[in-house]
Amino acid sequence: MWKQPWGLKEGFAICIGLFLTGIILQITVGKIDWDLFAFPVNIITLGVFIAGIATMHITAQKVYLFKWMSRYQAAVTAMLGVVAVTVIMGVIRQKPFHVEVLGFESWLGFSQMLSAWPFILLYMWFTMLVGMVTLRRLFPFRLRNIPFLLNHAGLFIAITAAVLGSADMQRLEMTASIGSENPEWRAYNKLGEMKELPLAVKLNEFTIDEYPPKLILIDNETGKALPEGKPANLLLEEDFSVGNLLDWHIVVTQHIPEAASMATEDTLRFVEFHSMGAAYAVYVQAENTRTGEKKEGWISGGSFMFPYKAIRLSNEMSLVMPEREPRRYASDVTIYTEKGEVFESVIEVNKPFKVDGWKIYQLNYDHSKGKWSTISIFELVRDPWLPVVYAGIWMLIAGAVCMFLTAGKTRKEDKK
Amino acid sequence: MSWDNFTIFAIIAVILWIAGAVVAWKSKKELLVYLFTISGLAVFFAFILGMWISLERPPMRTMGETRLWYSFFLPMAGLITYSRWKYKWILSFSTILAIVFICINIFKPEIHNKTLMPALQSPWFAPHVIVYMFAYAMLGAAAIMAIYLLWFKKKDILATEMDLTDNLVYVGLSFMTFGMLFGALWAKEAWGHYWAWDPKETWAAVTWISYLAYIHFRLGKPRQYKTALWIMLISFIFLQMCWYGINYLPSAQGASVHTYNT
Repeated sequence: MWKQPWGLKEGFAICIGLFLTGIILQITVGKIDWDLFAFPVNIITLGVFIAGIATMHITAQKVYLFKWMSRYQAAVTAMLGVVAVTVIMGVIRQKPFHVEVLGFESWLGFSQMLSAWPFILLYMWFTMLVGMVTLRRLFPFRLRNIPFLLNHAGLFIAITAAVLGSADMQRLEMTASIGSENPEWRAYNKLGEMKELPLAVKLNEFTIDEYPPKLILIDNETGKALPEGKPANLLLEEDFSVGNLLDWHIVVTQHIPEAASMATEDTLRFVEFHSMGAAYAVYVQAENTRTGEKKEGWISGGSFMFPYKAIRLSNEMSLVMPEREPRRYASDVTIYTEKGEVFESVIEVNKPFKVDGWKIYQLNYDHSKGKWSTISIFELVRDPWLPVVYAGIWMLIAGAVCMFLTAGKTRKEDKK
Repeated sequence: MSWDNFTIFAIIAVILWIAGAVVAWKSKKELLVYLFTISGLAVFFAFILGMWISLERPPMRTMGETRLWYSFFLPMAGLITYSRWKYKWILSFSTILAIVFICINIFKPEIHNKTLMPALQSPWFAPHVIVYMFAYAMLGAAAIMAIYLLWFKKKDILATEMDLTDNLVYVGLSFMTFGMLFGALWAKEAWGHYWAWDPKETWAAVTWISYLAYIHFRLGKPRQYKTALWIMLISFIFLQMCWYGINYLPSAQGASVHTYNT
């Protein structure tokens, strides 16, 4: 080993060395606190990192290691090293950064892999090699190297910007209520600390469109949907009237999409009720196709005002209507900025609103009230490094297009 | 169209694919190969389209639905390979693999209802899944090739056969890159971040880098065929972890935003 030219063995030795160094650092120094890299530390780190790679590139003819770093043997072993450490991450349940871990778990740090030294050193080595090989192909510049450069420079840019930019990223949660006098400008981070924002949100209206309710069978003892593992259901669309669940033939004779339950002397029945808190109710006749047993009655999923109502079909199972699933939920909001701008918008899942470097996402609502929720929870995200990461991502996409188009054409000459 | 119709569509498609594979193996009538295989693809796609229309959403939410796309893309990947490199056996293999996935769907059906959670209602949904399934099919074809070369071929491996394997991986990997990056762009719109190291994403990174290792190994050591094929097969195992393995992995339970089966 270590006789020139170096090959895969030396590459693996370097990866194992980095891994072990990482373990030692993890035990002695402890996990990396990425918050320390907040601006301007990340810019300085990036400068040093790139300057380091450039220096190694320039001195590559003098130092064998640097020359070797842009060879396939270095690349393949670094990739396998990164794969190995990422597999470890994949098989160990990950915990959030701010959770304190103790003892053996903290020595290795594998349950918080993103701040563990072995992981970071191997990824850094991998990224350095990508940077080195990019520089080697960049000078002298040739047109036919463009696909190569898109792939390699794109990956380098995306990884470095994503990692170093992570400390500058802010993710905050804001709860806005309908009818509150002032727009909301306070939000909370993951640790529950309050942050005041340069923008404010007023919730005018919150709406949920729901899918039609379903009927399912549940086990009376465990409450689990039947048949266990792959529960069956009947979707109660408006024209639905007849269906089968396991041995039961089910006929819906009456639909009341907005209903209230009324307790009479001996039974519970449902009547039309077009107001807040209305529940979906259906009248069902069920017949067991094997035993001929018959049951009938009202079924409702209930709401925050009315209790749910099920039919007990047998000692083993009941017919119930679980909570309806939301098809779409959206908040009608007015947004005010510090500069005095006012925006009207509807924010929904997959349709965030962008303002002043912030993106406002529909995150949640009051589930106990369901579609009558008077609050809406937003996530506000600011990521100043995003354009750089996106530049890298689009370069990689362009590189992949080139790879697809040239598959089977250009590699013959590269092989030598 | 409902899931109950699947068996009949699948049987017709499979018969057509088998016919195409047999003609490819036994005779030189290329036109017939294309005719049979493409008809099979058309029948199978008609079912997918029917599901799409009747579910009022793209049929891509459950594992069963992604298997549907996979069984569709496998014979297509086989046919593309056949048209470019004329391997007479490739259609037989891709058909067998497609049949395996169709059988899983027939004998272990899953619920296929209309509900689609708001997070999945995005223009990125269809391209993200379709592109990934096509990539998986190409890489599946490459894995079949590797198994054939490592254990079934009696004579020495030819350079042209390795070229075919490389090409399948190049095409598969480029589509996998699209799938992964479209996923990142979508995640930013849906969840606020482009990469969150969710278990599925972690395994996607493993799979992607592992295939990169295969490509670079091929370039660095072009004559060590068997080691290269081993790297590729291990990458394909990682791909299975990423696709459905994480559903059974204890460390991923309840931690992934990528499970939509219930």
